[in-house]
Amino acid sequence: MALTALDIYKLLPKTNCGECGQPTCLAFAMQLASGKASIDLCPPASVEAKEKLSAAAAPPLPKVTVGTGEREVVLGDETVLFRHEKTFYHPTAIAVSASDDLPDAGFASRLAAIRRLSFERVGQRISVDLVALRCGSGDADRYARAAAAALDATGLPLVLLAPAGPLAAAVRAVAPSRPLLAPSPEDLVPGAKLAAENTLPLRVRARGIDGLSVALSAARAAGAASLVVDPSPVTPREAVDFATNLRRLAILSRNRDLAYPSAFDLGGFPDPFLAAALLVPKYGSLLVLDSADPAELLPLLTLRQNLFTDPQRPIQVEPGVYPIGAPNESSPVLVTTNFSLTYFTVRGDAEAAKVPAHLLISDCEGMSVLTAWAAGRFTGESISKMLAECGIERTVTHRTLVLPGMVARLSGRIEELSGWRVLVGPQESSALPSYLRRLPPGAFLPVHG
Amino acid sequence: MTLPAGPGGTPVTVGGQNALPLLPEGEHPNAPAVGMEVRTGPQELPPALSGAIGPFAGDPAGMARKCAGDWGARFLFLSLAGCHPDAGGQSVSEGAAVVREVLSATPAPVIVGGCGDEEVDARLFPAVAEAAHRPVFLSYAEEKNYRLVAGAALAYGHGVVSWSPIDINMAKQMNLLLADLGFPPDRVVIDPLTGGLGYGMEYTYSIVERIRLAGLSGDAALARPVLCHLGDAWKAREATDASEASWGDVVARGQRWEETTGLACLAAGADLLVCRHPASVARLSGAAWR
Repeated sequence: MALTALDIYKLLPKTNCGECGQPTCLAFAMQLASGKASIDLCPPASVEAKEKLSAAAAPPLPKVTVGTGEREVVLGDETVLFRHEKTFYHPTAIAVSASDDLPDAGFASRLAAIRRLSFERVGQRISVDLVALRCGSGDADRYARAAAAALDATGLPLVLLAPAGPLAAAVRAVAPSRPLLAPSPEDLVPGAKLAAENTLPLRVRARGIDGLSVALSAARAAGAASLVVDPSPVTPREAVDFATNLRRLAILSRNRDLAYPSAFDLGGFPDPFLAAALLVPKYGSLLVLDSADPAELLPLLTLRQNLFTDPQRPIQVEPGVYPIGAPNESSPVLVTTNFSLTYFTVRGDAEAAKVPAHLLISDCEGMSVLTAWAAGRFTGESISKMLAECGIERTVTHRTLVLPGMVARLSGRIEELSGWRVLVGPQESSALPSYLRRLPPGAFLPVHG
Repeated sequence: MTLPAGPGGTPVTVGGQNALPLLPEGEHPNAPAVGMEVRTGPQELPPALSGAIGPFAGDPAGMARKCAGDWGARFLFLSLAGCHPDAGGQSVSEGAAVVREVLSATPAPVIVGGCGDEEVDARLFPAVAEAAHRPVFLSYAEEKNYRLVAGAALAYGHGVVSWSPIDINMAKQMNLLLADLGFPPDRVVIDPLTGGLGYGMEYTYSIVERIRLAGLSGDAALARPVLCHLGDAWKAREATDASEASWGDVVARGQRWEETTGLACLAAGADLLVCRHPASVARLSGAAWR
C-alpha cells in the first residue's frame, strides 16, 4: 500500500530546513504523499528513507515498453483498479497477427490490411499498435525475413510468436526495433536468455497464476527483466478472472513476483471479439487478435479510446462552427458548449430533426451548459464575441440565434451586445427535433443593412 | 428484483449478488438478462437493423412474439415512441391498446417506455398502468415526473425504472424520492442513461461501476439492479454509415457497435440490457454469466 503523509514524515529528518522548498518537513511529506514532489529534493534524507520512499513511489504495475520512437507502446504502469479512482494511463495495446507461412503476395496484402486499421475519431487517431508475427513455417530464415518485411511495411513494433530457433533468427534481423519476444512455452528458457542478451521485453506464457509463478522464476533466473505475462485462459470468463487477479495482485497486494502487465493471445480463442471487448475494460495490457476486419477493430479501438480517457478531464470538442446536414445561408444557428457529451447530444438531436443547421461550439473549457454558465464561461459576452469572430455572420444572411433554454436569461445581453435576435430553445436537447421542425421559416429571413 | 411474466412465461430475476460482475467470487444468484426493444411509430432503421427487424415495422405484437420466441429475448422493452406528436402521434388510448396487445401476444416480462414528450407521457403512463392486465415496469420515472409515474405504478401494482442523467447523486436521490412515496424498493430498477460507444459510453461505464461499488459497500439507496438501454449505440455514425468503405461492412459493424456497448455495460455491472439487434441477444448472453 502507498505510504501516508504521516508515514513519510516519520522517515524525514524533521529539521524543517526548507531546502526542499517547503516550509516544513510535514508540508514536504504531504507533497510526497500526493506524488507532487520527489524525495530527491531532500538532500539531508537518510539512505534508508530514500530507498523506502522510492520503492513506494514506483508504480505498483511496472512499465514495459515495446517498439521505439513514435510507435513505442507502453504496457502496464497503472495505479488503480477503477478508472474513476484516478484514470487508466496506458491503453490496452492491440496487435493483429500475420503468419509467415502465407504466400508472399498474401503476406504483403495482410500487412497492408493491418496498416489500414487506423481511424480518425473526434480529433484523435486510433490505430492498431503492433503486428503479431506467427511462425507457421517453422523455418528460421523465412520467419526472420517476414519479421523484417513486417517492420518495413507497417512501421509498427512486432510481437514475435515463435519457437526458439526462428525467434533467434528474427531477433538478429529486427532487434533494434525492440520487439516483444513471445517464445512457445516449451522454449521459455532459451527465449528468456535471448531477451536478456538483447535487453528485449519477453512474454511469459503459462497456465494460470500458479503456472505463471513458476515460469516467471525461470524467466528471471535466465536474466529476463522486462516481462509481460499470459495466463493462457481457455474461455473469456477465465480471461477476465485471470486478468483481474493479476491486476489486483499488483495494485492491492503489491506482489512484486506477479506484478506484470498482462498479454492475451486470442488466436484460436472460442470467441475472440467478446474476450477482447471484456479485456479492454478489465485489465488486459496487450491483446493479440487474428481478425483484421475493420468492422471489428473500429469498435474495439473506440471502446479503448473511451475508457482510457481521463475521467477528471472532460473531453473537449474543438470550438467552431459545425454543420448539421447541409446548411445554407438561411439555416438556423444554434449555440452550445464544447463539452464533448453536450456536443454529441445536441448534434445527435439536431441531426434527428433533419433540419439543416449551423451549430456553434463555444469554448467553455469542456463544461456543460449550466456548469459553464455558473462558472462564467458561457455568458452574453462570450457568445456575442463568438458570433462576431467565428465567421458565421458571413455564412448566414439572417441574425437569429437559438439559445439553450437553460440559459434563457442570457438573451437580453446577447441581443444588446451582438445585435442578433435570440430565440430561446428547449431546456433539454431531446426536445430539439420538435422545436426545430416547428420553427417558422420566417424566423431566418435575411437582415438588411 | 423480478420482472414479472404472464401465465406460462418465465419471469426475469436479477440482482442479489454480493460481488463485482464477471468474477467467480462471492455470490451471483442471477445472471444478467438481455431483452429487446419493440418500438411503435415510424422508424428509419439503419442498414444493420432494417434486414433483421424491418419486416416487423408496424407490428409490435408480431415483433414481441419473435423477440421472446425465436430470438431469445428474456424480456421486452416496449417503447411507445409512436405516441410522440412528431412520430405520427398515436393517441394515448391507442398506445394503451398496443400495450394490451403485446401483453397478450407473449407471456414475456415487459417494460413499457413512454414517448419522450413530457405532456403526452403525463397522460400515457396512467393509461398504460391501467390498461396493463398484468404487472409491468414503467420507464421511466425521473425527477420531474416521478410522483405521477410512481403513483400510477403503485395504484396498479407495477414497477418503475428510475432514471437519472449519468449522475450517481441523482440516481441515489431518485431512489430516495421513490422510497419517500412508499414505493417498494424491490420494484425499482436504475437506468443511469447509457451513452453509445464512442459518444459518452465511458461516463455510463464509470457511473454503473460506481453505483455497483456503492451498493456493494452498503449504500442501500443504490443497491438496485441497473438497466442499460443500448439504443444510443445506433445513433453513432460508425454504426450506421455505409459510405465509409474503410470502416468495413456496415451490417457487421452496426452489430458489433451495439455488442461492444453492451459488453462494456456488463463489465461495469449492468443487470439488464436492452438491445435492438436480434444477434445481440445471443452475443451478449455469451458474457451474461453468473
